[in-house]
Amino acid sequence: MSADPTMGELFAVLLARDFREEDRSLQVGANLPMARAAAVMASVTSRPDLRVILGMGVNNLSGGRPAPPVYPFLFDPRSMVGEAVMVQERVFDDVARPDVFFVGGLQLDRRGNLNLFGIPDGEGGWKLRGPGGVALATMSTNCAGYYIIMPRHDARVFVEKVALITALGDRTERERLGLPGGGPRFVLSPLGVFDFDESGDMQVRSLHAGVSADQVREATGFELGFFNDPPTTEAPSDEELTLLRERVDVERTLA
Amino acid sequence: MSLAAGERTSALATVEEALAGIGDGATVGIGGAVTAAHPMALVRALAASGVTGLTVVAPTGGLDVELLIAAGCVDTLIAAYVGMEGAAGVAPVYRRAVEDGSVTFKDYDEAHCIAGLRAAAQKLPFMPCRAGVGTSYTEITPDLVGFADPVAGQKLIAVPALELDVALIFAETADEYGNAQTTSAGHMDSLLGAAAKRVVVQVDRVVSNDEIRKDPLRTWYWKQTQVVRAPFGTHPYSSATMVADVDHLKEAIGAGREGGEALDAYMKRFVHDAPDHDSYLEEIGIRRIASLQI
Repeated sequence: MSADPTMGELFAVLLARDFREEDRSLQVGANLPMARAAAVMASVTSRPDLRVILGMGVNNLSGGRPAPPVYPFLFDPRSMVGEAVMVQERVFDDVARPDVFFVGGLQLDRRGNLNLFGIPDGEGGWKLRGPGGVALATMSTNCAGYYIIMPRHDARVFVEKVALITALGDRTERERLGLPGGGPRFVLSPLGVFDFDESGDMQVRSLHAGVSADQVREATGFELGFFNDPPTTEAPSDEELTLLRERVDVERTLA
Repeated sequence: MSLAAGERTSALATVEEALAGIGDGATVGIGGAVTAAHPMALVRALAASGVTGLTVVAPTGGLDVELLIAAGCVDTLIAAYVGMEGAAGVAPVYRRAVEDGSVTFKDYDEAHCIAGLRAAAQKLPFMPCRAGVGTSYTEITPDLVGFADPVAGQKLIAVPALELDVALIFAETADEYGNAQTTSAGHMDSLLGAAAKRVVVQVDRVVSNDEIRKDPLRTWYWKQTQVVRAPFGTHPYSSATMVADVDHLKEAIGAGREGGEALDAYMKRFVHDAPDHDSYLEEIGIRRIASLQI
């Protein structure tokens, strides 16, 4: 495989490698082509028991089934194929299903809390308004685990404390409140992979090739836990890239 | 009692008849999800009607909400999402109205919408929900109230009943008695109907009662229902047989972002100057409509 992986392809491979044996259903939201690719990639290879929810269709792709096509919108009527259909008013009647999902946000803080609401003006109004919390609170409360995908990494996005919490990532608070779900598994950014230490503070798991520790410190609005010598993110193998490009992301949405 | 066989009442209505009862200050639920299955013909007619002070419950809305805000109909909005996915991460008219305070926005999670609608459908004051515990929901939406449950003492959120004066819903078909059937996922639509005092269901086709009986498992029915026929009436959103019109959505979003005269021109052309649904379809054009059919 000649061409180097794009950031989207790197994200897809990192996610696909991380899904667990016990993961059973995995829901992909809007505007997350790398999550879609990761779900499909795992589903056609190492995780044959996964049900992948793409748009309204619930799919299992084991046994050599092709990846469902990519449509301009998640709720495209043509997405309503597979072995079951996701119905919005019933999907949360079994809150452990889906058990894995992916999310981004306007702000992410040291404790793993996400803000999707917006930035308040301090007088009861809004300086900046997002589209709404969708089902992020439900999913982050109940699901076995979720992945935080941040397309930007700078000090305005990676902040000490989010202005408002849409998804509670803070491990200590989650335990105190008795939230059933497993919380965030890791954070992906253009600079590296991050997770949370025993106390629940964000730490570096690995830095992407060519990214320096100083660069990450500068781009992060809080003191980030560092290993002495943070490892470099393991690059996608030729085999992984070939599979991704030829069987999974055939539309090349990640190119 | 009369022993003569009675005649079943027709639920068929014109758009005007169906919307006539929606007065200023009413609470209106709108069905569909994100870019699918919104009853846009009803929404455009409501936007053109000049009604004001509405509380709109649009669980996952977009252009439906945009048109009603742009037409000055909305006082309060309850939603979990207002946007058009990749075409617009945030719906622009909504965003401006919430940022400048002209519309009161109540943030609800999708599960809060479901809980509130279920409470209304079951005539309960509220429904408990765990989603949002430990988040800012109760702070920014004071209607959502944290409480300790009386059984196990767990921290939960009480979502108040979202009782709707009317639910505007789309289904592909219905008969003239208000038996509706959808061939798409249904979203929260049947629940919106259950939470409403009355339902207006916009359909592509009115079919016979015998046709409905072929697949009764798919039938929705509610207490008080009116059926309005509006072929291709989800445009620019999708139905089971039509994809969303990305180009038209981009045009609407562009006008929304620009605001002022651009938005006025869009509203004039597609809402205020289109006296009925057929005029709207003429304005969109048969070639465009045909191109969207699956």
